Amino acid sequence: MSVDMAVRPAAMPHETGGEGYVRIVDVRKEFEGFVAVDDVSLDIRKGEIFALLGGSGSGKSTLLRCLAGFEQPTRGSIWLDGQRLDALPPYERPINMMFQSYALFPHMTVEQNIAFGLKQDGLPKEAIRTRVAEMLEMVQLGKLARRKPHQLSGGQQQRVALARSLAKGPKLLLLDEPMGALDKKLRSKMQLELVNIIETTGVTCVMVTHDQEEAMTMATRIALMDQGWIRQVGTPDEIYESPANRFAAEFIGPINLIEGRIGEDKANYVTVLSPALPVPVYVGHGITGVQGQEVAFGVRPEKVWITKDEPDQPCNKARGSIEDIAYFGSHSIFHVRLPSGVKVLSNFANQQRWASEGLTWGDEVWVSWADDDGVVLTS
Amino acid sequence: MSALRAVLKRFVPGPRWGVILPPYLWLGLFFAVPFLIVLKISFSRLAIAMPPYTPVLDYVDEALTLHLNLGNYVALVTDSQYVAAYLSSIKIAAVSTLLTLLVGYPMAYVISRLPAATRNVALMLVVLPSWTSFLVRVYAWIGILDGNGLLNRALMAIGLIREPLHILYTPMAAYIGIVYCYLPFMVLPLYATLIKLDDRLLEAAYDLGAKPWRAFLNVTLPLSRSGIVAGCMLVMIPAVGEFVIPEMLGGPDTLMIGRVMWGEFFNNRDWPTASAVAIVMLLLLLVPILIFNRVQQRELEGRLS
Repeated sequence: MSVDMAVRPAAMPHETGGEGYVRIVDVRKEFEGFVAVDDVSLDIRKGEIFALLGGSGSGKSTLLRCLAGFEQPTRGSIWLDGQRLDALPPYERPINMMFQSYALFPHMTVEQNIAFGLKQDGLPKEAIRTRVAEMLEMVQLGKLARRKPHQLSGGQQQRVALARSLAKGPKLLLLDEPMGALDKKLRSKMQLELVNIIETTGVTCVMVTHDQEEAMTMATRIALMDQGWIRQVGTPDEIYESPANRFAAEFIGPINLIEGRIGEDKANYVTVLSPALPVPVYVGHGITGVQGQEVAFGVRPEKVWITKDEPDQPCNKARGSIEDIAYFGSHSIFHVRLPSGVKVLSNFANQQRWASEGLTWGDEVWVSWADDDGVVLTS
Repeated sequence: MSALRAVLKRFVPGPRWGVILPPYLWLGLFFAVPFLIVLKISFSRLAIAMPPYTPVLDYVDEALTLHLNLGNYVALVTDSQYVAAYLSSIKIAAVSTLLTLLVGYPMAYVISRLPAATRNVALMLVVLPSWTSFLVRVYAWIGILDGNGLLNRALMAIGLIREPLHILYTPMAAYIGIVYCYLPFMVLPLYATLIKLDDRLLEAAYDLGAKPWRAFLNVTLPLSRSGIVAGCMLVMIPAVGEFVIPEMLGGPDTLMIGRVMWGEFFNNRDWPTASAVAIVMLLLLLVPILIFNRVQQRELEGRLS
């Protein structure tokens, strides 16, 4: 895994009929005086659940609305299954969307909501009825077919919204903050349920979310967006384990970032010298950098070991004292302050009751990590 | 002591009555009492006296007699002139309500879609004319619709017509007057429902393949139903009893119940018949009011449950 593999250069030649089922080619969207989507190119494969992940103002929702047809890109093109989409109005695109907080028609029953799209196509009544029954069974809402949306719970409404957006058998399904309107407990249950239903139908899916956990649970690949840019594209573990840059490293999960300079840069290893650490950092893979270049070394807290005795390794270790202990039940997070002032977080899985009892505030400890456990970030 | 307080609490009205009572007193004094007086007069006979009707209750020689004269009501049903006036009133009111809806809906729709700053100006423009006297505004229409008025002169100047159109003093002029005067009552409730409409519902309709006009028919129109009903009631109910507009703009053939009532009361000095006409009109209007209330009730229940 190379560290910066995931950023696609925007100038890469794009021709239709390539590998992407959905192809977003140099799409730019400007609103009065500000750029919401800044020359984004993406290829999304057939059958994928693809997440656009980012904070507010990252341009993820605007990009989704460009796909749905509610916004016209300022320039660039969007292709789906070889067909150019960006000139088509939303009602002529073979795309359906599950809206944030669902946008169910309040004056229609569950059945009528699901049938709405089929009716617009002028299907015969019998065909509509069969299809609606099929969809109701898929989301297990047969008993509630005659209810109005306001008589349903949040989770039920979500399933109606999903059934409505899948009823027409779209080529592409869009999910806008699918869990946004649910409480935390229901979320994790519905995330898996939603993925199961989507995978049964085999539909290609693009979802927008600000919640990294949601993106990692549901998506096969994630595009991390920031200020209209794509900062990294990759599978959840690629993004987590090999972040391409500081933004990606810090956006997803906690990470210890240590500033330093490249010491030795060889084909199969690299060392980073940091004033914060007494010994060099040794990373067991090569990067594209030059000696002396300013970089950051990142290592996730769960890969940092905490021991009372000095570990038997020449690199990747430091001595410090425990400043804080955050107890989460399943694990504890130790905040270790190094003599240089840098704080290192270490996860300690509480696999045995009272196992962490030996360590307490103010204890002098060693933090360490293995050669392959960290990444060097050049940007 | 506490027993006394309990008794007091029972018979001395609490502070909330201070809020509830004034409107009830107002309604009782200025609606219920006058209504009962009119109801009483409608059951009396015409008399050359002061006031010009016979008493309904009589106390003579220790005998209390109740004279209920149903003649006025019988006359209303049997005299085809009254029946025709009622029917014509309802027809004129219904047609003008429909016209007001056709003019008002697009107005309300466009206003609700304007950016917030322009929206308030547009709403202001709808309401602003009501700040001048109703009579002045109706009079102004005489100046516009007259054979020698603004409209005819403008149309002849651009060569669209040679002879002036005869609009003033026809039912057409009454329709124009009613639509003009009652337009705000249609636009405001429609605007109030349309502004609440969630844009994402329309997007959802487009997304599911609905062309704009179908999205309008299937989503916008049904969701603005409460506004349509409220607007139509607010226009229809006063329009049935409208007197000033048909009197000033309509011709002699614009038969409306308000004019008939005026004639009975002031020209014939027949208070009992005029009262009966008024009571029957009230009963006729009760039907649409009840429908309106039921629709509102159902809407409310639908939201709450």
